[in-house]
Amino acid sequence: MADGAPALTDDALRAEVRAWLAEHWKGLPQPRPGPGGAGWTTTPEHRAWLAKVVESGWAAPRWPTEWYGRGLADHQARIIEREFAAVGAPGSGQDRTNLWANTALAYASPTFKPKIVPQLLKQEVGMCLLYSEPGAGSDLAGIRTRADRNGDHFVVNGQKVWTSGAATADYGMLIARTDWDVPKHKGISFFFLPMKQEGVEVRPLHQITGESHFNEVFFTDAICPAENLLGAPGAGWGVLQTALAYERSVMGEGARGPRSGVAESNGEEPLIALAREAGVLGDPLIRQEIAKVIGYRRLNAMNTARAKSDLAQGTSSSIMSLGKLAMSRILHEEARVRTLILGAGSLLEGPDHPRAEDANFLTLNAYFTSIGGGTDQIQRNIIGERVLGLPKEPEVDRDVPFRQVRGNA
Amino acid sequence: MVTQGEDSRLPVITAEDRTALTDSLRRLLADRCTEADVRRTMETQSGYDPGLWRELAEMGVVGLVIEEEYGGVGAGPVELERVTEETGSALLCGPLISSGVLAAELLRALGDADAKSRLLPGVADGARLATAALTGRAGGWTPETIEVDAKPGAGGGWSLSGVASYVTHGQIADVLLVAAKTPDGIAVFEVEPSRTAIKALPAFDHTLRLAEIVFDATPARRLAGSKPAWDAVEQALDLARVALAGEQAGAGKRTLEFTVDYAKTRAQFGRLIGSFQAIKHMAANLVLESESAISAARHAAQALADGSPQAAAAISLASFACADAFNQIAADAIQMHGGIAFTWAHPAHLYLRRARADAQLFGASAFHRERFLQRLGA
Ligand SMILES: Cc1cc2nc3c(=O)[nH]c(=O)nc-3n(C[C@H](O)[C@H](O)[C@H](O)COP(=O)(O)OP(=O)(O)OC[C@H]3O[C@@H](n4cnc5c(N)ncnc54)[C@H](O)[C@@H]3O)c2cc1C
Repeated sequence: MADGAPALTDDALRAEVRAWLAEHWKGLPQPRPGPGGAGWTTTPEHRAWLAKVVESGWAAPRWPTEWYGRGLADHQARIIEREFAAVGAPGSGQDRTNLWANTALAYASPTFKPKIVPQLLKQEVGMCLLYSEPGAGSDLAGIRTRADRNGDHFVVNGQKVWTSGAATADYGMLIARTDWDVPKHKGISFFFLPMKQEGVEVRPLHQITGESHFNEVFFTDAICPAENLLGAPGAGWGVLQTALAYERSVMGEGARGPRSGVAESNGEEPLIALAREAGVLGDPLIRQEIAKVIGYRRLNAMNTARAKSDLAQGTSSSIMSLGKLAMSRILHEEARVRTLILGAGSLLEGPDHPRAEDANFLTLNAYFTSIGGGTDQIQRNIIGERVLGLPKEPEVDRDVPFRQVRGNA
Repeated sequence: MVTQGEDSRLPVITAEDRTALTDSLRRLLADRCTEADVRRTMETQSGYDPGLWRELAEMGVVGLVIEEEYGGVGAGPVELERVTEETGSALLCGPLISSGVLAAELLRALGDADAKSRLLPGVADGARLATAALTGRAGGWTPETIEVDAKPGAGGGWSLSGVASYVTHGQIADVLLVAAKTPDGIAVFEVEPSRTAIKALPAFDHTLRLAEIVFDATPARRLAGSKPAWDAVEQALDLARVALAGEQAGAGKRTLEFTVDYAKTRAQFGRLIGSFQAIKHMAANLVLESESAISAARHAAQALADGSPQAAAAISLASFACADAFNQIAADAIQMHGGIAFTWAHPAHLYLRRARADAQLFGASAFHRERFLQRLGA
C-alpha cells in the first residue's frame, strides 16, 4: 500500500478493474506460431493493448507507482489478475511472471532501467537467455564466455548454446566472466546484451520436436554498453538467481500444450476426452492412470495456491521450489498416458493424425521442462539442500580461482 | 450471516481459535503421546490411553465436529483436518476417527433426533465410544460389500443376522451403528454390542483396533433418517476420509522430518549420507509427496466446509493422494535409514504400518481414483 494513500478496498478495486476492462477490452486476434512453429508472433494490436495495460498500471500493480505499478499487496494484485483472466485479457500479473522485467527492475542501472523496463512490460523487445554454454550447463558457474571492460562498454567473446528465441531477440540476458582470478561464482557479471549487432551470430538448431526454437550464439567482439550491466561487476551470480527463480516459477505453473491445433474437448479434462474419443474410457486400467495424472496436475495447482497464500501471510514458502519438478512429472506422465490411450495409433504423426501428433510432440516437449531451466536432478539438489538443509555435494572447484581450475587456463 | 450447503456448520471457530487449538493439542501430544506412549498403548488390549482420551475430550478434540447442543464444539472439516494432521503426526492410538468422526457424523447425517440426544453427548464428552460397522469381509466400504441382513420383528423392532468386518475399534465400542440390508434398501441400526459376537482381528498396524462382528438374530433399533441411509453413510465416510487424509498428511510429514534429520547426522564414506544424491533426491521427491498431501487434505476439508459442488472430487483426490504419499514416504524412509529402521525399536515401521492401514480404511486408492474420475464426469 502506498504511503499515506487511503486504503483501497477489495470491492472498490474490483469495480475499478471491471469498469476499465468493460471500457477498453475488445478482444484480440488469436496469436499464431511463426514459420515452422518458431516463436509466437506478437501482433501490433497485441502490443497496442499491452501498452494501454501498462500505462494504466494494471500490468505490474505490486510494483511502486513510479515504475508503472500501484504499490498493491499481493492479494489485491490477484484480484486484478482474476478480472483480466475472467475476460481473457492478457498483460496483467507481469510483476509475477515477466522474468525479464522483474530482473531489470531489481538490478538495472539508473540510466538503463527507465529505457528497458517499459519496453519489457509492453513486449516491444524480444528477449532470450544467454546462460548455457557447451561446457557449462548444469554447472552454470563454469561459463567461459568473457566480457572485458573497455571504456564505456564491454567487449564480449565466446559461445552460448540452447538459446531459445535468440533468432528474434533484441536483447539477451547474458552471463559472462569478467574476472578470472576469483572462484567461479565470484567472477561472473550479468548483462542485457543487444543482439542485433555484427559481433553476434545466431545459428538455429534443429530440435527433436522438428522445430527450431533454440540456437547456438557466437560472440566475436560483440559490444555491450556498460550501462547494460545489471548489479555490480562480479555480482552476476546473485542476479542470475533472481532471474532463475522467476523462470522456474513460471515453468512450474504451465507449459506448451498440444500443437496440432485440433480441438480436443469442450471443457472436459483433455485426457478424459481423449480416452472417450478413442473408445477406451471404460478400460479400468486406463481410468486409474488418467485419475493419477489428473491428480498430479490438481495437486500442483493446490500446492501453488498454498505457496502463494503462505507468501501473502509473510512466511516464505518452500513449496515454491517444488513446482518445476512437479510440472516435469506431470508433463511426462500425461504424455505417457496419452500414448497408452492411443495404443498403436501413437505410431503415426503429421496433420492427418492430430492425436498421435500431439501425444508424440508432448512426449518430446516434456523434456523442455525436465532439462531446460535446470534439470530435474539439479532441482532435486536444490530442494534437498535449500529446502531440507541437507549437506551439499563436495564441489572440488568451488573455492579455487577460476583460472587455476583444470582446463580453464 | 453465512449461508452454505445444508450440511455446513456455523463458523464458530476463528483462524486464531484454530491455531490455539492445534497448538495446545500439539503440546499435549508432545507430552502424553510420545513414541514410548504409543508403544505402551499399542500393546494394551483396548488400544487407547483412557487418561489421554479424557484430556482430548476436555480440549474439545473428541467432540470437535459434534454440534454444540450435544456438548460438542460444532467445528467443521477444516478444524478436523488440522487436528488429525497433529494426531497423525504423533501416531495417536484410539477411536478418535471411529467415534468422534465416523459414528458421530453418521448420527448427524441420519438426523434421528432421539438417537442423537441419547448418544451424542456421551460421544462428545468421551464417556461413550461409538463406531460404525459399514462393510463385510470383502472390505471396501460400499453397499455391495454389506453382509448383514435385517428382518422386521414384532413391535417395530428389527433383528440382524450376518457379519460385519474391519469394524474400527469395534471391540471397545459402547455404541454400535450397523449398516444392514432390509427389504426396502440399506438402513442403519443401533445395536447393543453385548448382544453380538465380537472377535478382535489381529491388525498389522498395532496402533489400530479392528473387529469382526457376528450378528445372529440380534435385536436392533432402526434409526430414522431424513435421507436415504447410504447417503448418510457416505456423508459420514467422507468426513472420516477428510480426517484420515489429514492424519496421513501429518504422519507423512513427520516421517519425512525424522528421516531427513537422520540423513544430516549419519556419516558413511567420510560424508553425511544426506550429501549423497541417491538419498538427497529420494528426500526431494518425498517433499513433493508430503506437501502435495497436505495441500490435498486441506483443500478437501475446505471444499467440504464450503459446501462446494467440487467437494466430492476433492475428497476422492485427497483420499488417494494422501494414501499414496504416506505409503511412499514411509516405505522410502526405511530404505533411507538402512538397517537401523529394520529394527522393531525404530519408529519407521510404526509409520509404515499406519500408512498401510490408512490406505485401506474407508476405501483403497484404486477405488478413490475410479471415483474421482466418475466425479469428474467420466
Ligand atoms: C528445450 C530447451 C530450451 C533451453 N533454452 C535455454 C535458453 O533459452 N537459454 C539457456 O541458457 N539455456 C537453455 N537451455 C539449456 C538448459 O538450461 C541446459 O540444457 C540444462 O541446464 C542442462 O545442461 P546441459 O544440457 O549442459 O546438461 P549437463 O549439465 O551436462 O547434464 C547432463 C546430465 O547430467 C546431470 N547432472 C549434471 N550435473 C549434475 C549434478 N550436480 N547432480 C546430478 N546430476 C547432474 C543432468 O541432470 C543431466 O541429466 C535449454 C534446454 C532445453 C532442453
